[in-house]
Amino acid sequence: MNHSLQDIRQQAAISAKVFIQRDYTNGTVCQFQTKFPSELENRIDKQQFEETVRTLNNLYAEAEKLGGSSYLEGCLACLTAYTIFLCMETHYEKVLKKIAKFIQEQNDKIYAPRGLLLTDPIERGLRVVSFTKTLNSH
Amino acid sequence: MPGGSNSGGVGAPPSPPHAAASAPSRPLRPSRYVPVSAATAFLVGSTTLFFCFTCPWLSEQFSVAVPIYNGVIFMFVVANFCMATFMDPGIFPRAEEDEDKEDDFRAPLYKTVEIRGIQVRMKWCSTCRFYRPPRCSHCSVCDNCVEDFDHHCPWVNNCIGRRNYRYFFLFLLSLTAHIMGVFGFGLLFILYHTQQLDLVHSAVTMAVMCVAGLFFIPVAGLTGFHIVLVARGRTTNEQVTGKFRGGVNPFTNGCWKNVSHVLCSSQAPRYLGRKKQLHSVTVQPPFLRPHLTDAQLAAKVLDNGIQGDLHRSKSSLEMMESQSCDAEPPPPPKPELRYPGLSRESTLLNKAPPTPTMYKYRPTYSSPGKNHTALTHAYANQISRGDSLKESSSLLQSSQQPGFRSEPSLDGREAPGERGGAGLGGDRPGGAGSVGGAPGLGGGGIPGYSLGGRSYPSFSDPTVLSPGAGGASRSSSVRSGSAHNAAPVSEATTSTSYKSLANQTPPRNGSLSYDSLLTPSESPDFEPAAPDLSAPRAPVLGYSSPYLSAQLSQQRDVELHQPSASSVSLLSSPHRAHYLRASSSPPPPPLPERERLLQDPHHSHGHSGSRPPRFSRPPLLSDSAAPHPYPYRTRSTDAPPGPSTHPPRSPHPPPLGKSLSYSSAAAAEMQYRMVRKASASAGAGGGGGGGDEIQMKSFSRTNGQPKSSTSSSGSTPSSPCHPMNLSARPGQAYTGPGNTQSPAHKPGGGVKKVTGVGGTTYEISV
Repeated sequence: MNHSLQDIRQQAAISAKVFIQRDYTNGTVCQFQTKFPSELENRIDKQQFEETVRTLNNLYAEAEKLGGSSYLEGCLACLTAYTIFLCMETHYEKVLKKIAKFIQEQNDKIYAPRGLLLTDPIERGLRVVSFTKTLNSH
Repeated sequence: MPGGSNSGGVGAPPSPPHAAASAPSRPLRPSRYVPVSAATAFLVGSTTLFFCFTCPWLSEQFSVAVPIYNGVIFMFVVANFCMATFMDPGIFPRAEEDEDKEDDFRAPLYKTVEIRGIQVRMKWCSTCRFYRPPRCSHCSVCDNCVEDFDHHCPWVNNCIGRRNYRYFFLFLLSLTAHIMGVFGFGLLFILYHTQQLDLVHSAVTMAVMCVAGLFFIPVAGLTGFHIVLVARGRTTNEQVTGKFRGGVNPFTNGCWKNVSHVLCSSQAPRYLGRKKQLHSVTVQPPFLRPHLTDAQLAAKVLDNGIQGDLHRSKSSLEMMESQSCDAEPPPPPKPELRYPGLSRESTLLNKAPPTPTMYKYRPTYSSPGKNHTALTHAYANQISRGDSLKESSSLLQSSQQPGFRSEPSLDGREAPGERGGAGLGGDRPGGAGSVGGAPGLGGGGIPGYSLGGRSYPSFSDPTVLSPGAGGASRSSSVRSGSAHNAAPVSEATTSTSYKSLANQTPPRNGSLSYDSLLTPSESPDFEPAAPDLSAPRAPVLGYSSPYLSAQLSQQRDVELHQPSASSVSLLSSPHRAHYLRASSSPPPPPLPERERLLQDPHHSHGHSGSRPPRFSRPPLLSDSAAPHPYPYRTRSTDAPPGPSTHPPRSPHPPPLGKSLSYSSAAAAEMQYRMVRKASASAGAGGGGGGGDEIQMKSFSRTNGQPKSSTSSSGSTPSSPCHPMNLSARPGQAYTGPGNTQSPAHKPGGGVKKVTGVGGTTYEISV
């Protein structure tokens, strides 16, 4: 039956990607769950995974921090009728670039050798972090 | 201004601004630009006249600082206006196929997360294919999920969400200052020219002052409202749907931090239009999904096309729901797969096809046409229950379509329990009608907006979570946070069945228009009744209260932005807010369903009752209305067989039925009680009922479908949720069918029992 075949395929497809959901226990602050997913058990070790996710969380916390720099940026934007956004990069964007670099680095050093691919959550609206299993072996 | 050019470009009908502003939720394309064009025209035109005619004299007479000050303020207004209009509010991109890995059948419609100790429900968005993050809502006008959704503002023709809320807020502040400045300086000019009022300058100044004075009141009202929201850390959506009424807002960090977060946080990034980073590693299969997806794409596309109507209708629903929150208190988790039982139940009960409330209904490709037909059928021909039943069945079978998923509209419908979360402000009495919800009634926050409702946290009441009986109904009841799990299977079936249908429902009259607000509502005494409902009656009809609330809020939002005193009235009427919320409950499921539910001996009413009365709306629904536990129901209850069918219910089955479905869960519960009380007293004639029923149908129908129903529901798109619509919305469909059919339906004071077509009986509290 089509349906069963689809199911099989779905299951197969599902196993190819592991999604780390957002952790909302502290509200809408951008944080991801550090719980180690079972699908990755044989690929990477827990410590490594948690460290990666924690670092990501810290970076996002830095991006959303209500510090002096973000306040000044807001004031400046206000004074210039927001035209400053045409030339200047916002604080959040700067941190996002940092995050992208970090992810790239993690992929190159740690995950690619193990057959995993870490995707940038910004591509999915900061809703999930996904690990793609690049090798068929399990 | 772009707005003006837009409207010109698209040939917008030259309707007056307010006409456009009050356009239905699914206006013609061009009319979407009328409010924003009008706003721009007024703003720029009046200010230009002020600068040209008033300022020269002022700068000579007093100081050059006057025009400079006004110029700076005006520039600020325009800058914020442009940012609010053109900035992406925080739209989430659609999720890709690979994220959607859970099997449709079993994937729950809601996911619960705990935020600072409070259970929050995340609803599955069938359009965007993910579980909506907390505070995210799907805007039906824009057809996007927006992060930290506040509302959809017609005056800027854009959603207000996380990214542009700051600009919107500053726009309001600066506009208020600007209006005050223009008015003040104009007054100064006039005072110095009292002897020369025949000058052109004086005349123009007076005209500008009139415009300024006219707009000052609604703008200032809205500004004050948002100041309070910012201080409390709430969104408009949450406020008007009463999510945190009487409860704790898990998203607040204290007044100071809330304000600084709005004003001083770094600009949030946009999610759309980002350059996708190419991964250096290619993904090897077995990633068979894509193939499958491709193969199905055609089917899905076809589905979509065929379901286009449904989808669109959904969007209208979503619009309504857009205001509602997805952050409703999550209903007690109910993972049962109701679906299998649905067909059984439906056959047993001969009810409308059960809609799986709990599950996001991924459509395995099935005859879309059939579904579509079924849907339209169901909606269009409420008269014959059998038809709908058939259709719903077919719908069920095949409807695994996304359309049937938990669309916002379904929300209200599907689960009474669910509703707890839905935008209703989570008033659902946590669990078995936590009576505690009543306290929530207190008008929290802005009187006009703080609808009663149970506290947010109350939703996780264990009683609610009790694994009630009956699949569908149970889930729904669970959702409603009421322990009315006892709802009979039939109820469950009905409620579940309607979920999918609900998705398709035509726009509800959810917009609890302010009319209802303005009418002195039956007081919040409804609330006490609500808890009782948690008793054995399973609230079958706990439909989509979140949806309704969304609609309501949407409607409300539209009204809010209108330069009318509606906002003021809203603010001033706490009870109204209650109504508003209640009525905003999700669109009532198709009439037949309601009827069926009502017929259920277990009292679908119970269902409504079981819903935690999120809002203290009940007053809206006639007090005397039979206590319909179904929170979403507005007053009319479907009691096809009449009271006799509901023996357990005391007076007679409160014919809250469908109308209840409009209101939020809380309201439904309350209404239920009121209905119960009223049932004894209400002697609404059948005629009235018929009219009401038709109206109700039209309301529900309008949600998603073209109004083809018998009733000429003129209801605005957002309406299904307004229980009050039946009685309180003069301009809405209410008046249409009502005029023709229900003479008995008159705002009188008690509850009118009207018998709708097909025997549904509504109790409408006038």
